[in-house]
Amino acid sequence: MKIVVTGSNGYIGTRLVRLGSRFGHSMVGASRMPPSSLSVPWIKFDLCEPDCLQLTSGVDILVHLAANTLPEARIDEAIEVATAKKLIGAALASKVKFIFVSSQTARQDAPTSYGRIKWCIEQEVLAAGGWVVRPGQVYGGELRGLYGQLVKIVKKSPLLPKFLPLPVVQTIHVDDLAEGLLRIAVRRDLKSGVYCLGSSTPIPFSTFLAEIAKSRLRCRRAFVPLPIGLVNLFIAQLSETWRSRLGLDRLRSLFDLPVMNTEADLDQLGLSLRPLTSGLHPSGDGRRRQLLREANALITYVLKERPSNSMLRRYVRAVEGSRVEREFRLLGIFLSYPILLSLLDKKSWPDPALGSEFFWRMDAATLMSESTPEGAVRFLGYGQSHGPLTSTLSIVNAIAGDALWRLVRIFVAPILRYSFAKVKGGI
Amino acid sequence: MTANFDVIVVGSGPSGVSAAYPLVEGGLRVLMVDGGMQPSLLPPTVDFLSTRAHDAEQWKWMVGKNFHALGMRDAVSPKLRAPSMAYVFDGFSCDNRIDEDGFIAIGSLAKGGLSNAWGCGVAQLSEDQLADLPFPVAEMRASYARVSRRIGISGSNDDDMADYFGRDEFLQSPIPMDKPHTHLLHQYEKRRVKLHAHGFKLGRSRLAVLSTGISDRKACNLSSNCLFGCSRGSLYSAVYELPSLRKHENFTELSGFIVDDLNRDNNLWMVSGKTVASGERISFSASRVVLAAGTLATTRIVLNALNHCHSVPMLSSPSAAFLLWLPGLLGTQRLPSFGLGQLSFALSLRDNISAFGSTFSTTGILMSEFARHIPMSRRYGVDLLKGLLSSCVVGNLFLPGQLTEARVRLNSDGSLTVSGAYSDSVVPLMDEARKKLSKAYWSIGALILPGSFTIGLPGGDIHYAGTLPMRCEPVLGETSSFGEVKGMDGVYVVDGACLPALSAKSHTLTLMANADRIGRAILINIRGSGS
Repeated sequence: MKIVVTGSNGYIGTRLVRLGSRFGHSMVGASRMPPSSLSVPWIKFDLCEPDCLQLTSGVDILVHLAANTLPEARIDEAIEVATAKKLIGAALASKVKFIFVSSQTARQDAPTSYGRIKWCIEQEVLAAGGWVVRPGQVYGGELRGLYGQLVKIVKKSPLLPKFLPLPVVQTIHVDDLAEGLLRIAVRRDLKSGVYCLGSSTPIPFSTFLAEIAKSRLRCRRAFVPLPIGLVNLFIAQLSETWRSRLGLDRLRSLFDLPVMNTEADLDQLGLSLRPLTSGLHPSGDGRRRQLLREANALITYVLKERPSNSMLRRYVRAVEGSRVEREFRLLGIFLSYPILLSLLDKKSWPDPALGSEFFWRMDAATLMSESTPEGAVRFLGYGQSHGPLTSTLSIVNAIAGDALWRLVRIFVAPILRYSFAKVKGGI
Repeated sequence: MTANFDVIVVGSGPSGVSAAYPLVEGGLRVLMVDGGMQPSLLPPTVDFLSTRAHDAEQWKWMVGKNFHALGMRDAVSPKLRAPSMAYVFDGFSCDNRIDEDGFIAIGSLAKGGLSNAWGCGVAQLSEDQLADLPFPVAEMRASYARVSRRIGISGSNDDDMADYFGRDEFLQSPIPMDKPHTHLLHQYEKRRVKLHAHGFKLGRSRLAVLSTGISDRKACNLSSNCLFGCSRGSLYSAVYELPSLRKHENFTELSGFIVDDLNRDNNLWMVSGKTVASGERISFSASRVVLAAGTLATTRIVLNALNHCHSVPMLSSPSAAFLLWLPGLLGTQRLPSFGLGQLSFALSLRDNISAFGSTFSTTGILMSEFARHIPMSRRYGVDLLKGLLSSCVVGNLFLPGQLTEARVRLNSDGSLTVSGAYSDSVVPLMDEARKKLSKAYWSIGALILPGSFTIGLPGGDIHYAGTLPMRCEPVLGETSSFGEVKGMDGVYVVDGACLPALSAKSHTLTLMANADRIGRAILINIRGSGS
């Protein structure tokens, strides 16, 4: 499908364009400035230009993400709405599906003009039979947009506010949001309407900040309870300019956030959101980090030296690509001291399914390490001296080493068995 | 009504090509169709050991960009794990609607068929074996000579296996052996009389591999890349013969067309099937049809056309593999060598059963293939193999095909189910073979590593045959001495399906010679009938 994305340079826009390309769609970026790296075709689009982009032929979908988010560069509410109307009109004329990315704050009487603009545009979109997506608290990926600002604040400030009563947010990882948008784009059976995408279990905003500290920044932060009433009073005293400078309007939106009913919409799209802790991890997926550590351990065990990054990545791709979600986590001690894997490397396992998974991964690690120039040295002895003495030494070492670990295994077996049982579904 | 073609040949593998030659050279309008699978990954051009040492991208063709080797981890043969060979095997069971029931069913939709990924072993049937066929021995001898000359065969005419393989005046000199094999043969020659008495014969392998180039195909340069594909054309594949067929304007090819139905229309045969690209159904008409799609696919087409829903027996050779260690050569340097069979043996077992096998260098095979089976923890297993493998050779063993009790049956929905198991005598025979081989090899300085002798799974030989056997007086479900299907005049079977017996010997050359013989007969038949 050919998908045009306005606001393609933004926080959500860049992820959407990237994911769409990966899924094989022809993505077209539309923004004020051309992107730093032109991986997809680009057309100029400015919210201030009422006579905006021409929808070239062949376009199937238009995703309108562009919005005025910088408090400094204020543009008239009316202009933003008018531009959106023009876009909707153009889309209708060319039979292009229109998807508008709105906000959880969208309400006719929203405290911020941002929320009010979104609401107005929503009405226009729905009237024209388009689709509206209200994302919850978007996080993850690069440090941009509101998420980027929050991470910066958490990083800089040792004390963070814990507003009382607790305002809640419904988080959604930016890539999950992008996937949701693409699913709405591609499916023909979805009725026009408002789709709320966010975690179905709201969490307190302070918990969200604490998670950012823990998973993304790996630090701890202390929280200062702050009654909302006090904050509102303080904000009311400030002038308009100060309010917008400090971005305090957003706080008001936060306090005022309606809880969205997202479960039905997520179900309908078949979208399952990654857990917050995984999503906040810099790699976007805590699982990948675990796999990389596992790759390092297994390959070091086989190769007898630290693997190169490409070997690690290949192992991870092989496992990610072919394994059905199977609970398999090596205990930290094996990851830190790979030679201890000799204790696990035996035929009989208390849980045969886990054993066969272990051997699958061992085979994967062996293949990845063998099919490299380093592997030629390790497996074939390339470049090393050869002869009956070298070979005999190698064989004797192997048999002796294996015998030694078998002995150790016998003594350690009771402890190992205990640790298998303790960690459910893992070793 | 005039036919589109005189003959339609279904399948572009060795049998199909061998049957097509006489027809095309005789001026008939021939259409050859096949499943059209093409290689997507070119085989390596630099020798195996150099690539291993220097190429950072070697994983792409050793494991595959999509980790093909891992995905095929449980497949029976290392050939199935080579990413560059995936195209040979892909899609066969699915597109030909063949189901496995405890039996491994493998075939090919590729241009050139399974000959793109075979071991290149060839042999002629003995005088006695030929006499069992329902047609004169001389016909086969002539065809053997024609085919051998056409494809290029290397081996030895004067060692102890020369009679077993059949003497061949057009033989090229054998592919040079590596150090372990040279040592084995040398030791054997000192004790040959005693070993003969015990029923063990050893000699140079007979292979469809060139030691001297023929037209575009170059001679083998001992690169050890055999398992992953030969970029020089030294290993015979039916694909190499297609250009010379194409020179004839009466030869037409259609790739990517899977035949699933044959129907009689007046006095013509309608060959119908689906195109791979679009899925649309098309048909062609011809006065004769030659089926060479591989035993399983051909059998399905015939049984479907006959609406024969009773199960039909199939021959398949029980196979085994073992690792042979030469202690005297411990620590030998690994050098580039030939990756397919270097020495072959014939072993006499009880009840007049003869087993056949070959030994191969371990160089072109990934150690991962062996490491899995060593009963040690992986790290130490690799250490062991690192010291041991250069003085080892891998061996395989085949028993005659009647020892597997396999059956194929057409189901009511038109799909074919293949089922089977080894007969009860296989395990004892394999045991006897192991003991005899151990003794024989030990006397020439080699040891079958304990625990390495492994019996393969039923169907793992990929030598299926005999579902529509040739008989002098065929009944329904059999074929005439010219491979013509009983009840379907004008339809001929020329691949493994029509062989009435399957010995332990490599049977591809026999299939090709038989196909050549039948092709000639069809030509005479057509000219004689004036149609």
